[in-house]
Amino acid sequence: MTWADLHVESERLAIEAQLALRTRNAARAIELYKRAAEIEQRALDQLDVSKARTRGVTAVSAVALWFKAGEYALAEQLAHSMLADPHVPDFAREDLRNLVQGIWTEGAKKNAGVAFVPGQVMVSVKGGEVVTGGAPLDLIVDKVQTIQSMFYRTIEFVSGLSHRKVGRPSKELQEACRPWLFQSAPGSYQFSVAIQKPAQPDFFKQDIEPERIAQHFLEIVSASSGEDHAELENLVPDESYRNTFLKLARSLAPTGKTFDRIELRASGETRPVALGVESRVNINRQLRKKLDSLATADEVHEELRGILRAVHLDKDWLDVVVGSTSVHIEGLQDTVDDVIGPMVNRSVVVRAVRVSETKLRFVDIELAD
Amino acid sequence: MTEADNEKLRIKSLHERHIGLTPSLSGTFFEAASVCLSRHHNSPVEIEIARNGGTTRRVVDFQRPDDRVLNAWANDIDTTETGAYGVCLAVVEVEEQLVAVRRAETLTGADWYVAPVGTEPDDLESCFRLEVSGVDAGSRATVETRLRQKVAQTRRGASNLPAIASVVGFKEKAVAMQKVSNDQ
Repeated sequence: MTWADLHVESERLAIEAQLALRTRNAARAIELYKRAAEIEQRALDQLDVSKARTRGVTAVSAVALWFKAGEYALAEQLAHSMLADPHVPDFAREDLRNLVQGIWTEGAKKNAGVAFVPGQVMVSVKGGEVVTGGAPLDLIVDKVQTIQSMFYRTIEFVSGLSHRKVGRPSKELQEACRPWLFQSAPGSYQFSVAIQKPAQPDFFKQDIEPERIAQHFLEIVSASSGEDHAELENLVPDESYRNTFLKLARSLAPTGKTFDRIELRASGETRPVALGVESRVNINRQLRKKLDSLATADEVHEELRGILRAVHLDKDWLDVVVGSTSVHIEGLQDTVDDVIGPMVNRSVVVRAVRVSETKLRFVDIELAD
Repeated sequence: MTEADNEKLRIKSLHERHIGLTPSLSGTFFEAASVCLSRHHNSPVEIEIARNGGTTRRVVDFQRPDDRVLNAWANDIDTTETGAYGVCLAVVEVEEQLVAVRRAETLTGADWYVAPVGTEPDDLESCFRLEVSGVDAGSRATVETRLRQKVAQTRRGASNLPAIASVVGFKEKAVAMQKVSNDQ
């Protein structure tokens, strides 16, 4: 049989598998993926090195099919043998490396003895002070904390819970859907985040697909940082949630001082959602659209750069130290714990409106980097 | 086929012309595209296609989905992505005389490869990879921005693999498309 004969058969089986997954028949899908992988690997064997593109695409396809069939050892073996082949083109090499990364993480999750919700998010922090495999600890801790907050918020949002203004997520949610951090193969500074599967089978409402949480998370990050404000409004109709997601996404985005770019992608996906310095500008534009609509013409806006020393959400105030002077600002409105909490004792930029000689009313706060 | 059909964008029964599609997958693409279009429009609708610096307009017929179909396509993100495939394959067929001939898996989905109508290539050496994206309610500017992002991503991953990047805006009734190769 020729490459074309075998590849067509593999395609047919893979399409059937995809359609089986759509009807939630996972066992049938795995069986079909397994057969498709076997045939695709045979198709790969039919190709000589002169067919560089076809070989590269088929190699990636065969490894991906083994992966989808849950045959991680076979997927890894084939990926490594193709990576060792000097004739494999660069585009396929990149895809194969990403697949290997996905395989390792899946293997580590399997060995952890904990069940995870399908899908995970790979995070790369790039540029500035970040080197391959290393980054300033405070920068990474900050990003991990923000990603954790966004994951919890995404789960609360898709679960239809009302917007949480104060405190951490419920103990039940934290215990049921605990985010895990996995080390990933270095290249810039990379890690992956997976959500532990709730022990209680009916933790999620019937119409919620847990495997969509990572995808929802990425869609929200992408829409928050994009130029089209309607996209986020459509994805997150609740205004309180939308503001919180925007502020968390802004905390993730770089200012360009310590790092230039953060990329988030679904495991194995080569096309990331990227936040660059320009993303912060877009997010601020989205946030200020709302603030500007509330502002009156005679308001005097001030921008204070200093260290956030204290916050009291219940009493609605914060103190920021500018130089050696402590400035008291009131009216924190819809500011939430997981946005402002990580900013305490950090350099911040606070925007406020002067309401009298001694009084400032809060408008917005962000990390100064 | 009548002369009027020549002007149409045919998203139904794609498998009859695109040899790489199975009838069931073709049906899936048509259903999803119909759900996406019917969120904002009634059939038939005229779609503007921007490619190679020019624009053309094509009329597309679609089926108003019943409750059963709407329930099956309750996930907006999947529906928009799948529907975009249906529309983009119909567009490359009518505008570029290319049809889907092969499909190859990636970790999170699959890529489609297109080749000139009437050919059944023995390999992928001369095929174009089709990069597809869908925008549900975004504006024309969103469609254009998404295409720029897609072109940049495709170019980064293109190496020596020519591709066509395309974006469908369902509410905007617009498709933007650009060929990408590593020498551009």
